[in-house]
Amino acid sequence: MTMDATLAGHLQELRRGTVVVASLTVLREPGYGYSLLETLGAAGFEVEANTLYPLLRRLETQGLLTSEWNTDEARPRKFYRTTAQGDAIAAALRGEWGRLDKAVNELDAPAGDDTGET
Amino acid sequence: MTSIIDRYVWTVLRRVPEQQRTDIERELRASIEDAVDARVDGGEDREPAVERTLLELGDPDRLADGYAERRSYLIGPEFYPVWRRLLITLVATVLPIVVIVAVVLRVLGGATFGEVVGTVFGTLFTVGAHLVFWVTLTFAIIERAGVGRGELRGRRAWGLEDLPRYEPGVMTPGQLAAAALWPVLLIAALVLQQFTFTEVPVLNPGNWTFWWPYLIVVLVLEVGYAAWLFRRGGWGHTVTIVNAVLAVLFSGPVVWLAASGGFFNPEFVATLDWGTVDPARWLGNSVMIFAVVGAVWDIADVAVRTERARRGLPTMVPGTGREFTSPLS
Repeated sequence: MTMDATLAGHLQELRRGTVVVASLTVLREPGYGYSLLETLGAAGFEVEANTLYPLLRRLETQGLLTSEWNTDEARPRKFYRTTAQGDAIAAALRGEWGRLDKAVNELDAPAGDDTGET
Repeated sequence: MTSIIDRYVWTVLRRVPEQQRTDIERELRASIEDAVDARVDGGEDREPAVERTLLELGDPDRLADGYAERRSYLIGPEFYPVWRRLLITLVATVLPIVVIVAVVLRVLGGATFGEVVGTVFGTLFTVGAHLVFWVTLTFAIIERAGVGRGELRGRRAWGLEDLPRYEPGVMTPGQLAAAALWPVLLIAALVLQQFTFTEVPVLNPGNWTFWWPYLIVVLVLEVGYAAWLFRRGGWGHTVTIVNAVLAVLFSGPVVWLAASGGFFNPEFVATLDWGTVDPARWLGNSVMIFAVVGAVWDIADVAVRTERARRGLPTMVPGTGREFTSPLS
């Protein structure tokens, strides 16, 4: 029970920043709140609507996203798109993610190698 | 009748900044309708679909906090240690001083025992509440003003030179402050009692021709002694002697004045009515006891510290349960 709670807490810590990378990457193609929620959910990101919607506005104030109201359809929707700055930041974050993934795997792997050699 | 979606959206809007409301409302309503449509397309009825969607969105107050980027704490982790340390320091120093001053004033004003007890608790709670409230409010404002901790400290980041020395021979800046503050407070009390606190001066005004100015000079010397000791950075026989001389120079005349009945203002003593107790004798005796005990304590304290430092005996490092042994020099 407490073990589960501990794991859940650490998983949440680990996942915290990933929604930003994923959103900035997905929104290189314009999208609106609910569509992004669906895309992220299908891609395996566990993100809740009440986290994502405020996050989109925060990224917009930071200049990483721009938005535009599309009133062509019956239901007006706010479309977000990643800016050049947002794209650069997303690229840097993906690079960091790759580096960490490699580093963690390297920490995990050599333990077996060492015991094999000695 | 208001729909459940209206009620949800309005509850969110109540807690977001006014200039963002129109935009947030349009976007939130569109998002909710999208989610409901998706559920209806998946075969659910509209009414339960709306309910499930709103339940998934969760507490509207939390959603509003997210939109408004509101902090859900008063003092964050950056300022919490500073806030805590400052509060403990103030409660441990200012509060007792204020309570003691209040009690002394009440006693001099001829209050009964019950009134004095009332003063103790009254002052404790009033001053304590003010202290905690204003310090906390100040920190909450600083937290929201976006000031960094480094800026608050008004200097560079923490460095190794900020570590206390913990050596028995060395006075900390805090001890210096305490040693210098005490004489200053006494001088202030000595001067102020002439004009305020009571209708007639508490202490004999006749002594202003010599003894009160003399005591002020000795107290100023005490401040100089503290500064000298701090800069000297170590105990020694010179320190013991200087300290003892100063203690005698101060307490000697005080005891003599109290014993000869020239310490308190006779006019003030005449205003006191303590029943069967003679105020003049009690006040005189109390002053004598305080002066003698204070002087003996002071002389012994410095002598013991000096001797321990000289012998290289271990000294407790305050608040750690560890001991420090100074190297023999």
